[in-house]
Amino acid sequence: MVSDLAIYTVVHQPRRLKLPAQPIPRGASLADMYHCIFDERMNERYFRKVAQYSYYPAARMFLDLVRQGMRLSIGFSLSFLRQAESWDPALLDLFRELVAEENVELIGVEPYHTFLFLLDLPTFIMRMRWMVDELEKIFGKRPTVTDTTEMCMSATLYDALDTAGFSGAVMDGREWVMQWRERTHLYTYSDERPFPVNITAPRSISGTRRSQQRLVSDSVRENGPFLLTRHFELSDDVGYRFSNRDWSSYPLYADTYADWIANTWGDFVFLAWDFETFGEHHRVDSGIFEFMRALPAELTKRGVTFQTPSALIERYSKTSCVYHLPLPIFPTTWAGSGGMEFFLGNSAQQTILQLMGYVYGLARLTENPDLLDLAIWLAQSDNLHLIQWFGRSGSEAEVSSYFTPDEWWSLGPNGIIYEQQRVYINTLHAMEPYLPTRLIRQARRKSTNRASRRKNAPDDPEAEYLTRREWQ
Amino acid sequence: MIEQEGAISPKNTLFVLLSFEGPDVYSTAGGLSTRVSELSEALAMQGYTTHLIFVGDPSKPSIESRIDGHLILERWSQWVSKYYLNGVYDGEEQKLYDYNESVPYHIYNEIVRPALAEGKTVVIMGEDWHTAEAMIRTSDLLHWFSVRRKVLMLWNLNSLMSLHRINWGRLNFVTTICTVSKYMKHRMWSYGVNPLVIPNGIPKRHLTPVDANAVTRLREIARQGDSRRLFYFKIGRFDPDKRWMMAIEAIARLKYSGYPVTLFVRGGIEPHGTDVLSHAFNLGLKIQDVVAQRPNLEQSLDAMAHVASPDIDIYNLRFFLPEEFVRTTYNAADATLANSGHEPFGLVALEVMAAEGIAVTGSTGEDYAIALENAIVTETDDPDEIVGYLLYLRRHPEEQERIRCAGRRTAEEFLWDQVIENLVSKLEFLARKQSIQLP
Repeated sequence: MVSDLAIYTVVHQPRRLKLPAQPIPRGASLADMYHCIFDERMNERYFRKVAQYSYYPAARMFLDLVRQGMRLSIGFSLSFLRQAESWDPALLDLFRELVAEENVELIGVEPYHTFLFLLDLPTFIMRMRWMVDELEKIFGKRPTVTDTTEMCMSATLYDALDTAGFSGAVMDGREWVMQWRERTHLYTYSDERPFPVNITAPRSISGTRRSQQRLVSDSVRENGPFLLTRHFELSDDVGYRFSNRDWSSYPLYADTYADWIANTWGDFVFLAWDFETFGEHHRVDSGIFEFMRALPAELTKRGVTFQTPSALIERYSKTSCVYHLPLPIFPTTWAGSGGMEFFLGNSAQQTILQLMGYVYGLARLTENPDLLDLAIWLAQSDNLHLIQWFGRSGSEAEVSSYFTPDEWWSLGPNGIIYEQQRVYINTLHAMEPYLPTRLIRQARRKSTNRASRRKNAPDDPEAEYLTRREWQ
Repeated sequence: MIEQEGAISPKNTLFVLLSFEGPDVYSTAGGLSTRVSELSEALAMQGYTTHLIFVGDPSKPSIESRIDGHLILERWSQWVSKYYLNGVYDGEEQKLYDYNESVPYHIYNEIVRPALAEGKTVVIMGEDWHTAEAMIRTSDLLHWFSVRRKVLMLWNLNSLMSLHRINWGRLNFVTTICTVSKYMKHRMWSYGVNPLVIPNGIPKRHLTPVDANAVTRLREIARQGDSRRLFYFKIGRFDPDKRWMMAIEAIARLKYSGYPVTLFVRGGIEPHGTDVLSHAFNLGLKIQDVVAQRPNLEQSLDAMAHVASPDIDIYNLRFFLPEEFVRTTYNAADATLANSGHEPFGLVALEVMAAEGIAVTGSTGEDYAIALENAIVTETDDPDEIVGYLLYLRRHPEEQERIRCAGRRTAEEFLWDQVIENLVSKLEFLARKQSIQLP
């Protein structure tokens, strides 16, 4: 039976698009592009609502619990942190207070909650490193364990996280990935056995010649990242089913849940939830806060000890209780039924992913870091999550439509899809003037025009407007 | 119906006008700019605090107070306009989105809330299709904040453009729809609405007598020493609706019937202008372009005198015409050809009447024009109809004087002050219709 338990919770708010799509003026500045693309008024409204019902009460609850000895790991998307900085610095301070506690481990989450890893893996690596620096600036703690967007994990993602230098990563323990394995052990994908025929490393890696933007970190770890696999059934009992009156185990009490955890085979249980589970997905009157406050004592009674992910890695890696987990090429995720079909399963989602790629590709062509940043914002996974319902029905579609802003539904399902695509198309066109070739030609024309204007002063600059006057 | 008390006055009422066009040169494209500029000024002159929210010049201040602070010009969407320097309708879709998105909140937060705190009623008037959605959203927002019943909302139509983009059901539900003539009212029936008619107006300055010396000089220039020579004027966009071809044909027929003619034309930059002038040329009319650099009245007359010749039939005025020159020309000409085939109201003809000129109108939105009483009213697109009426006037000079005087009297009835009285009387009725509690 398990003796350890790690709880992980992730705080994220999407940067929602403005629908219907706002046409972007030709030659718009970056600030004006942002104004047209993102609905910050709506984002602020949702942020404040969730802060009131979830972030404040849940953060205070966890602060009390960790001060009483519970251990917690928590991750924040920079998407959330930027909103908190802008709209509620006091909330950010509360989270800083929580993260500063000794019993809290900060997990490094994909910064903008994007699917950048589907578009550009090397940049994904650089961004994950940048995220670590950013989180350290904000919280004073440097994360070593990471979580990718929607807890996605695959062979290539693992290799990217290894290259980025993380010691551990979390993933969902879905059966199609785990197969016969239990999700209550520590895993790794790194194959460190010697090769029958030696591989010659390129000179840039072997250190004789250092490339300018090396992806591999300066201090390569002894092991590849250890993998903590989320116990999705026990997690979903709280994350999804807790307030479902049709569920056979409703209502779930802390003692029952502690029993289930304590009676699980393996070394440890790793549970993970959206932070918004507390107060938003399950409202305060569902009893979720009382449940959570009662859980530590019930677990202690049953001999289950709270740990952080790093502590689990430390403990089990040293006792050789680490097992190989073959990772799939196609990512697993904690969303839906565990595969990327939740995000890419319908034609509308596939189109948006293509558009994400086109916008990202064009932003790369502009060589403008600010536009690249904008393109990465647009690669946010939520833009695919929010349209999972298109052409579908059932519980997953219900979850997806729950997250779709109410304000959008007046457009109708097809209207939402159309307008969302327009946002990407508008952005793409708005980025075109920033292409270096066009900028150079513009500059040339401007200097030519200036020279010719000096020769040929206009008759009357206002005449152009005046001649438009209509005398009914 | 609830029982209403009180009456609308500057002390208890504040006006908000929504329009794309406005008083800036940048915001001037059609008659709408004239209407909203003059209406807002007239309201402010009467003491009503009036906000005019329009797509203004991006280089001017976003807010500007005029008329002792009674008129507040709010230049909207300047952040969009700075990317579109070719006037109010350049970047139209971009501006429209911004206008719809931001104006309603502004009206609620910055205008309605403070006004209601002072116990004032707010009257919001939207102009033309561009403001329809903003009116709907404003009404929804006011309803959400439980203040809709303290605000009167009217929406006025001045043109038939882009009516397919209006959600008529919602607009008709949340506002009282108005228009400027009975003709427009009847045209709008096909959209399932029955608007109230509140006519356009003209400012008092249009009744100022024109300079008699200038009139005499202009007639001399136009007639080139031939007192038999007829002198006509046509001004407006080069739009087929304005029936330019009919006017040109009429001029040619007069000329070839043995009546020497001078026609001053002032069109816009529209491509139809090429068709019009080519047609005139092909009919054998001799055209002379006239240019000048933003002249005043005197300089305009000089410019005309400089190029005038007995051989010229048509003078194509390719410069900004100062208002005084336009009014002088209305008065000096034997007639101004405002013979449009579609005219929502026909402000030009009313301005001609105010200047004691003779207007040849069409017979659509010009409710004020009565045939051979205060104007010449054409009812077909047959050039001979114009020719016939003009020759009739030529044979009856006493009729000319009578029509000029009657036209002037008509114009006096359409001063903005009168129109506002009409509007205010209707507002009290509309307050009852919209269940608005007047202070």
